[in-house]
This record gives sequence, structure tokens and C-alpha cells, in this order.
Amino acid sequence: MKENEIIFQAINIKKEFDVTVALKGADITLKRGEIRGLIGENGSGKSTIMSIAAGMQSATSGEMVYKGKTWNPTSMIDANLQGISMILQEANTIPGITVAQNIFAGREKEFTSHGIVRIKKMIRAAQALLDKYEIGYIHAADQIDRYNFEDRKLIELVRCINENIEILVVDETTTALSHNGRNVLYKLIHQLAEAHKTVVLISHDIDEILEHCTSLTVLRDGEIMGELTKEDMQKSDIANKIRYLMIGREMTGDYYRSDYDSVCSEVSRLSFQHVTFGRIKDFNLEVHAGEIVGIGGLSGCGMHEIGRAGYGLEKLIEGKVLCDGKIVKSCKDAIKYGIGYISKNRDTEALILNGSIQDNIVLPSLPDLQKGIYISKKSEHMLSDKEIERFHIKCADGNQWVNTLSGGNKQKVSFAKWTAKGANIIIMDCPTRGVDVGVKQFMYQQIMEMKKAGNAILMISEELTELIGMSDRLLIMKDFEISGQFKRSSGLKPADMINYMV
Amino acid sequence: MAHQRAGKKISSDVKQNIIMFGGLVFCIIFFSIFTSLHGQSIWNPEKLSTLISDVIVTALLSVGAVFVYALGNIDISTGKQVGLYATLMVVIQQQTGSLLWGVLLSFLIAIFIAIVNAITGELLHIYAIIPSVVFMFVLSGLSTIIYSNLGCRSISLYNYDYSIFKNPWVMVGTLIIESLLVAFVFNKTMVGKYTKAIGANAISASQGGANIIKYKVMAYIVMGVCTVVASLFQMGYTASASDSTGTGYELNVMIALILGGMPLSGGMKSRVSSALVGAMTFSLLNVGLPLIGVPVNFTFMVKALIFMIVVLITCRKRGGVLPR
Repeated sequence: MKENEIIFQAINIKKEFDVTVALKGADITLKRGEIRGLIGENGSGKSTIMSIAAGMQSATSGEMVYKGKTWNPTSMIDANLQGISMILQEANTIPGITVAQNIFAGREKEFTSHGIVRIKKMIRAAQALLDKYEIGYIHAADQIDRYNFEDRKLIELVRCINENIEILVVDETTTALSHNGRNVLYKLIHQLAEAHKTVVLISHDIDEILEHCTSLTVLRDGEIMGELTKEDMQKSDIANKIRYLMIGREMTGDYYRSDYDSVCSEVSRLSFQHVTFGRIKDFNLEVHAGEIVGIGGLSGCGMHEIGRAGYGLEKLIEGKVLCDGKIVKSCKDAIKYGIGYISKNRDTEALILNGSIQDNIVLPSLPDLQKGIYISKKSEHMLSDKEIERFHIKCADGNQWVNTLSGGNKQKVSFAKWTAKGANIIIMDCPTRGVDVGVKQFMYQQIMEMKKAGNAILMISEELTELIGMSDRLLIMKDFEISGQFKRSSGLKPADMINYMV
Repeated sequence: MAHQRAGKKISSDVKQNIIMFGGLVFCIIFFSIFTSLHGQSIWNPEKLSTLISDVIVTALLSVGAVFVYALGNIDISTGKQVGLYATLMVVIQQQTGSLLWGVLLSFLIAIFIAIVNAITGELLHIYAIIPSVVFMFVLSGLSTIIYSNLGCRSISLYNYDYSIFKNPWVMVGTLIIESLLVAFVFNKTMVGKYTKAIGANAISASQGGANIIKYKVMAYIVMGVCTVVASLFQMGYTASASDSTGTGYELNVMIALILGGMPLSGGMKSRVSSALVGAMTFSLLNVGLPLIGVPVNFTFMVKALIFMIVVLITCRKRGGVLPR
């Protein structure tokens, strides 16, 4: 077993879903001991190619070679037992059973004697693994539902890594993890690489890739656009080159906003006064017309709850949320007063996935569209078509279902809902989560348009760079309180804020 | 890419139409051919009138039930409600000589049941089917008490000309009017649009401004009102009611809706036409099977078989998952 030995090869892999072509003949070669970055926009096929290698689905055509033999895994468990494991983007734990049962799902035989699974033995083994990865605060005997999304991701990680592991695929997992969770993951990745194992890190975060990977493959539209070595990745202008490879054109114009003028109106549109609920105590904030207020922090710092409270979704014990002087008690009030809310849980809260683009866009506007009790098809069409055009939503027409759209286009629909309604105070929670660079830039431009039109914007995000790039005023939260405040300036750096976060 | 997606979307709509109408068209052709082999015809006036009377109650019930099924909910008390309303109409007619008061009382009870059904499910965070199961038992109990007090198992209208309820034109006319009204509310008003949105994703609908409880109550009321209309025709056809009137109708409704391609999970693909098509398919099976020589003892078995085949062929979702 030596370094640089080729462990896995995929040759001319094609994958078609009905009429959609996800991979148009992609080749990839993985070597022992490397941390390979896989980067590309949504729908570029970066997840697809590795999910084929990990046995989740099979290719339409093409060939794979693993450890010198033809590789055709029958299932993810089969691939896992033979050494290729993948941590998926979505939650992939089994609800309703214990942590230990999740970790050893499909491997119960190892703990079985006389046809009975020795639960205690399984729990002990699972706990030993959890302790080994320094996440011993998770108890193997607990029901998995007791843990949040982040912990469940870490549990998945433990499940993936067994003594046979040769290749670990991590699919956009870090966006779901907090600072600590990420560190656990990164440490593990480097440990594996040092032990001459292979890690594939799928991401669209260029900084993350540059920091941790030893080589990089860029995909676009189901094709490999380029491979970069460690030396390439250390060049000064490399981030722009990667972006160019990803989207196939130069990024023109500014990525974030370019001005450092944080003057806004004196008129307070949305105001939190002594807001107290859950673990939030006496929270105060004013958002003015034409102002972008950013809130940053680690997930679990309370910033998402603030967004919900601003939209009337939380029951306050004390204090009040005011919109133009009127109390916001429910989201129905909020909508009436012109507040729009983009939930961070795009697929479960912000959108009706099993509904058309039009159904989603017109939903908050239905009361405005009715004449008497009648809502005409034409009025719905006109409203949604206007927004589809404004946001350049890539679709055949408004009748296309939202679950067929890519992440970026889905997010455009959740924005379009509120521009269609004419909301002029917009609370956006993680507005660019799971959205690729091209669309991100477009969204930032839209947010700037909103600001220029005098709208008040509350932008909650886990990405500090985006908050620094967009906010007039930036708040950092820690332990359900505001721990730091920053004015817009060109000198602001994420490093200035980390201390206020952890 | 955009055009390819369009193709996929259209084909999924076409598929739903095939599901909806395919079964009905197949049944019509099948029974037209095979009944004639047995020297019978489903198209002779007598059989047609049987068919209409068979289809009418199921169809009137199913059309209203579309609202509740679109929420992703199921109401199991429908049959017992029909029984109670029919009984009340007859009892009150015997006392007062008029059907009006019985019908009005039935509407009031139906609205009350609708409100309780919708609100308890939502406020107590229990499956919406549970309160309807409770109602099923309560109404069974009521009916038992009424008939044991009356000292008989069936009662008839007293001195009343009920021929109007046996007139096929009145039946079909009522069904058409009810369907058009329900379809209008379902497709062209906030009540219907919010109902579908709540069925598809309640959190998202609520964050989009829909008052979940209010619109669930509305949906259940639509079903309740349609149930009373159906009860009137159920009672009117024989001018009587008994302790077994309506028994099992909730299942007929469910079967009709599934045969009509209604997704049991509710949501945006729900259609009023599913109720009509499904009820007709179901009645064709009821009336047609004995005519092609299936012994009456076996009709249930054959229906089960056909139902299974239809569900397996048509209702499979992507990834091979049965309708949820």
C-alpha cells in the first residue's frame, strides 16, 4: 500500500434520468492518500458521479475499477463493507431507533449470537467509536431523534468509517455543520489521508476546498472541466480560475455590493422591543428603511429564532415586535404589514415542493388576487410570469413543479413569492444556502435592488463573508444575545468576528 | 434543458389523465362487450337507471370528500352520518309532514361535526382520522338508541310523494350542480387553493398566510354539506331509512377516489373530476359484474382483485412507493 497508487478509476460514466442527462461521460481517477475536492454548480453532476461509485445508484453506461478490479456495487451497504462510503447531503439516518442501531445498520450480524442481536454489545461498540472521534457527548443507547441535524450528520460520519474504509466521500456536509462539527470532520479527513486512505470532498465553497484539499476536479453540466494539482491550487489567482471553470464565463460586475455607504433612512420599519421567548432574553433591534441588517453567528446562537420572531412565528413571553408601529402577533399580521420571510428550511418550510412554481409564487398574494371570491387563472399567470422573468427562473413555464428545479432556482422562487406580494420588509434566513456562485451573485444584486428601493432587509446567515459583503450593519450573536456590532467598512474581516462568536 | 423538462411535466399530467379516465373507459368498453355476450346490456334503460341510482350517492359523497382528501385527511364517519341524517329526515317528516326541518337539522349537525373534526385534529395534534373514528362510534350509538326506542329496524316516510328523488334527471342534475359548485370553490377561490396548499405542505401554506384551522374547517364543512345532500337522495330513493343505512359508505368513497386517481396524500394533484370518474367506475363494477355472470357471492372478491390491480398499476409513485 503506497502513496499515489491509483485506487479508483471511473471511465466514461454516463447517467441519464429520463430525459435529463446528469453525466455526459465523465472520467475520474483517485489516488491513495489524497484529499480530492469536487466542485461545480448545482446540477453539474459532482454528487451524481460519487453516488454511483458509492453504490447509491448505477450508471447508465461506463466502467469503474476499484483496487484493480471491475467495480459494480449492488448497494450503499455493499460499497460500505468493501471500503467506499459516502456521507450524503440530506439526512440519512433512520428515525425511531437508537444511535447504535443506526451506526451498525446492515451489520447486525456482527453482534448476533443464536439469532438474537446483543443490543448491549452493539451499544458498547458504538460508544467506543463515538468516543474515538471525540463526540462522546452523543450516547449510543439514545434514540437518534433526540439529536439535532448536526449531531446526526456526525453519527453518519461514524457509521461510514469502518476498518475497511478506503475511500470516504463527503457530499456538501459542512454547510450543515457548526464550527465544532466542521473541526471534527476536517480532523478526521486529514487523519484518513495520513493513513493513505482517500477522501473526496464535494463542495461549492471554494475557500473550504482550497484549505483542505490536495487536488481538485471541477465539473460543469455533467462534464469534467479541469483537474488542478496542489501546485495549481497555491497560485494567487486560483479562486477566479476555479469560478471560471465552474460557470464557464468570466464573472462580470461585483460579487457583493461595492459601496461602503451605510447611510439609510431614519425611519424604523421593523423593531424588536425587549423581545423575550425561549432562550432569547430582552432582545432589541431596529431595522430601518433602505437598510440591510446582517445577523451572524454559529447555528444554535439564536439568530434563526430572531428571524422567526420578526415574522410572528414565535410566541413572545415579553416584549413585542413592531412593524411601522403596529404589533406583529402572527405571520398573518406580518404579511398584512408587508413583511416577507424566507425560511432557512427551503424545502420543508419556504416552498411547497409538490406544487407548481406558480402555486408557490402566488400563495401569499391570493387575497390580493381575488375579485369577490373569484380568483382568475389569468391574474395568477400574469403575476407569476412577471416574477419568473424578473428572477430568470430556469423553467419551461410556471406550471413546472418546484421539486424539478435546481437549488438555486428553488431559492429564486422563495424570493419571488415576496416580491410578487410587494413585501417591503424582508427577513431572509440563510438566503444563499445551497445556492451556487452564479446564482448567488444574482441574488446579491437583487438584494441590493431591494435596498435601493427603500426596503428594510434583515439578513441572517451562517456565512460571514456574505454578511460582511452585504450588510450596512452587522450583528454577531452568541448564546442567544448580541455579542458584537459592526458598521459597514472596507476593512472588516471574518477574523474580527470569530472571537464574538465562540 | 427547459424543453426537456416541459416534456416530462406534460407527460406526468397526461399520466394522471390516463389514470383517471383509463379505468372508466376500460370498464365501459369491457362491460359493453361482455354483458352483450351474456344477452344483457348495461345500456338498456332499466339497467341505466339502476346504474344512475347506484352512482348518485357515492358520487355526491365523493365530490364533497375531495376537499378533505385534498388536505391529506380521511373522514371515516361518512357512512354513519348518512345513516343518521336519513333517519332524522324520516322521523321528523313523520312528525311534521315536511322534509325541510329534518334537512335543516342535518345541515346543522353536519357543520358541527365538520368543525369538531377539523379543530380537534389540528389543536390536539392527533391524526385527523381519529376524531372521525370517534364520531363513527358516537353516531352508531345514536342510531342504535333511536331504533331501539322506535322498536323497529326501519322506518318510512309517511304519506309523502317521493317520486322526485327517483327521477334520473333530478339525480343527474343535482350531481352536476353540486360538482360545478364544488369545482368552482376548489379551483377558483382561496378556500380551495389554500386547502390544496395545506395538503401539500401545511407549514409552507401557513407561512404563506393561510389560517390552517379556518381553512380545514371550511374543507370539512364542504364535505359535510355534500354528505347531507347525498343522505337526502339515499333516503329519497326508497323513502325510508334503517339502522344499516349508509353502512360502509366511507369505504366506497375512498375506493371511488382512489379509482379516480386521487392521491391519498392530498395536495396539488387533487381534482374534483377524480370523484366523478371514480364513482362511475365503482358503480359500473357494482352493476356490471353480476351481469357478466360473476356470482353475487364472488363480487366482493373480484372487486378486491380489480382494486388491487388498479392501485398497483396506476398509483405507484416514483421510486415504487405506494400512495401515502
